[in-house]
Amino acid sequence: MPVSAASQSQAQRKHSFVEWGLIAVVIAYASLLLLGPLAAMVWGAFSEGFARFWSEITSPDVLHALKLTVLLGGGATALNTAFGLAIAWVLVRHQFKGKRFINGLVDLPFAVSPVIAGLMLILLFGRDGWLTPLADAIGLKLVFSVPGMLLATTFVSLPFVIREVMPILSQVGTQQEEAAYTLGASPWQTFLRVTLPTIRWGLLYGISLTLARALGEFGAVLVVSGGVSGLTETATLFIFRSLDDRNYVGAYSVALLLALISFVLLILIELFKARRVES
Amino acid sequence: MSIVLNQISKLYRSQVVVDRVSLEIEDGELFVLLGASGSGKSTILRMIAGLTPPTAGTIHLHGRDVTYLPAQQRDIGLVFQNYSIFRHLNVAENIEFGLSVRKIPANERARRRDELLDLVGLAGLGNRYAHQLSGGQQQRVALARALAHKPKVLLLDEPFGALDVKIRAQLRRSLKEIQRKLKVTTVLVTHEQEEAFELADRIGVIERGRLVEVGESQTLYNKPQTSFVATFLGAGTVLTGRVREGCARFGPVDLPIPDKTGVHEGGRIQVLIRPEHVVLSDESDSGGYVSMGRGRIIEERFTGPERRLRLLLPPLANTRQVAPAVPFGEEGVVIEAAIPAEGSLQNPEPYVRLKGWHLMKPPTPHLLAVAMDSEVDALRHSARWLVEKLDGCATFLTVIPSKGSRRIAEMEKGRGQAAFSRIESCLREGDFVTEVLAELREKSYEMLLLASALKRPSGPAGRFHSSSLSLERLLQQTTIPILLVQGGVEKISRILICTAAGEPGKVDVREGGRLARRLGAHVTLLHVRAKGNARVAAHLEQAAATLRTLEVEVDVRIRLAPDPAAGILAEIREGNHDLIVVGRPDPGSQKFLGDDDVTRQILSGTDRPVLIISSEIEADLWGAATFTSTVVQSQNRRGSV
Repeated sequence: MPVSAASQSQAQRKHSFVEWGLIAVVIAYASLLLLGPLAAMVWGAFSEGFARFWSEITSPDVLHALKLTVLLGGGATALNTAFGLAIAWVLVRHQFKGKRFINGLVDLPFAVSPVIAGLMLILLFGRDGWLTPLADAIGLKLVFSVPGMLLATTFVSLPFVIREVMPILSQVGTQQEEAAYTLGASPWQTFLRVTLPTIRWGLLYGISLTLARALGEFGAVLVVSGGVSGLTETATLFIFRSLDDRNYVGAYSVALLLALISFVLLILIELFKARRVES
Repeated sequence: MSIVLNQISKLYRSQVVVDRVSLEIEDGELFVLLGASGSGKSTILRMIAGLTPPTAGTIHLHGRDVTYLPAQQRDIGLVFQNYSIFRHLNVAENIEFGLSVRKIPANERARRRDELLDLVGLAGLGNRYAHQLSGGQQQRVALARALAHKPKVLLLDEPFGALDVKIRAQLRRSLKEIQRKLKVTTVLVTHEQEEAFELADRIGVIERGRLVEVGESQTLYNKPQTSFVATFLGAGTVLTGRVREGCARFGPVDLPIPDKTGVHEGGRIQVLIRPEHVVLSDESDSGGYVSMGRGRIIEERFTGPERRLRLLLPPLANTRQVAPAVPFGEEGVVIEAAIPAEGSLQNPEPYVRLKGWHLMKPPTPHLLAVAMDSEVDALRHSARWLVEKLDGCATFLTVIPSKGSRRIAEMEKGRGQAAFSRIESCLREGDFVTEVLAELREKSYEMLLLASALKRPSGPAGRFHSSSLSLERLLQQTTIPILLVQGGVEKISRILICTAAGEPGKVDVREGGRLARRLGAHVTLLHVRAKGNARVAAHLEQAAATLRTLEVEVDVRIRLAPDPAAGILAEIREGNHDLIVVGRPDPGSQKFLGDDDVTRQILSGTDRPVLIISSEIEADLWGAATFTSTVVQSQNRRGSV
């Protein structure tokens, strides 16, 4: 039946035409939103030559801001990894009253704007804050200082590790751990040698998401830090200030550097995600 | 002794999962715990392993009390049903796991690992990961891993459950071989009878958390003690008859009783007939076998080496079928028989003869009688009467408040009176309801007898109040049938089963019917409504049919009355009933035993004994003996809908 075969291939052609059209739309949309700004950023950073770019990113303010960003990102990630694992463990493996409430509370940092998170910290630890006497008593200054910024960054990046680890923990169940117990492994040995390897890809995925979020944090840190250059200024805060000061090359240069770091993280994230799905 | 379990129990939220299991397992023995899913067998294994703490009882492994030791210190190996080998480690690392956590040097580990790989037949596969292995190979790895540290006890939780039939048979053989070679004490949990027979040195049969019977495969198959084990292990026919003139009588058939201990004239007795013990022939000559008469073939199945037949025989007097089920709408006795596959019967109604059988004594119901106040005599009298009628035994419990010992003297007096072999007395100290519940939990009872009820305040107000409160709490916290003897039980020849609202409850009809059968009483099924309703009539008729299958005389009454309680009370007065059966009010409802609650009104309005039956009841009144008949009835009911 040559006629119907011809009409079929025609339909196929039509079909693939629509398909290609849709793909083109997607690519156009992505380039407009992603590649365009990226190109503009590269253009802006190198508009006055590489030497200018280099001097911008090696200036003391920028170096300090980058150092602080890495410190905050690393610190928040470490805190959220340790406590996130513990929280995920408790939420999956234990039954207690108020479990659903706490489980819901974990998503709070997603729901609350980072600026409001920062304001909450000011309310707690600022001048005449509710917990200020307590912080003073142990000699900790939280507002307009690095510890407060760390707290803010930790808060906004809290859910990632918990939300990535929880489904894996509940999926693998307790049987492997119980098998390890009967083989003589202590709970700690079991955690290190059985549980951790089982959840490692999900955990790493969660950790990289946490780090990405922490490095890019702006609102909460801005409110808490006050943005004192050379003291409490992170990379994102530096970009913000440079734009204000019409130092466009500086802003674009640091932005490009942050984008590069994000790109590396993105590759890692995709890698971990693939391994997580595999296992 | 490798493993000694002493009265271990496990409760999950007051639900008994394992019920006072005691067991001793010899060194080097392969012991199989056999039970249906949900029977608690895996929980027992987990308690031995130390993964689940027992609620009560003790566990000894090789003479050491391990009840409170964690799994790590018990020196055991465990294999789960689902492949639990570590997926991030390869086969060799899996096997070495137990050794490396013990810090055993690498060269020794490698030697042991190779030994085990050889033992389980996986030599050369040490570098593979779980996803590169078949299910059978994974279970072999799990077995090798569990054996690596040379445990004294090996525990296997349905290890072949997830494998296909052919591999299962292979693995069973290797397991048996390995177990023989290493002589390691092994406990295997399974729901498969065939597996148990093939592997076990001894089998323990678990039913609803209780260890029903322990024995060698052949003993359990040929000479089971209970009808549950008889029907759980293999096919066969179980009938209940009576002891007459020193013989077990099933209609026209008299079977000699080899062991007469515990058997008394007129008591119930059961017979198990395995299919292979039934001889079918076309000729009437009995050939020295016991003749059952002629049967009609109603079912025929080809199973390979043999053909399974079911024959329907005419009803036998004073005989009740326990298993298999009589098809709905048929009357008579069904006998399961087996003939060689190539054999054939000319006659569709062959002569049925027995060349072998096994007699069993049915379990006796155990009653708990508790005096709530001073009405001890009526209670004691009723308990004695029921024990005699039901062929059971009873415990007489007195609860005294821990402080006052005022009652002890009274109690001692009561104990003197209890010189009746089937009633024993016991005394507990503490809160009344708490102690009664504890007693019910610790031992197994089929019915709770209480003397007083929710009377309208006639005596001192305080007395009324406390006893009615106690009953309320008991009804809320237990599902055991509660018989309020009120004025006392002297004869029960007419039973009224009330189905006040909605359709007749299945459980109260069934349990009331069982009681009627045991007492030889007549049953009236009553439904009270403000208006007539054809659908209710159909439901009642169905319930009556259920009762008739229990060989109970039934009549059905629908009363028109504006108020259910008033209707029931009027019926009690007119019909002169000796016992009233009502469903337990829903403990969740706001009106639970409130003033306008039907149950409460009935209790207040009559001095006749009242039996309150919960619809949540799981264990039936007469224990395992009638377990299969429960199944029979529910099938019948389904058939008639």
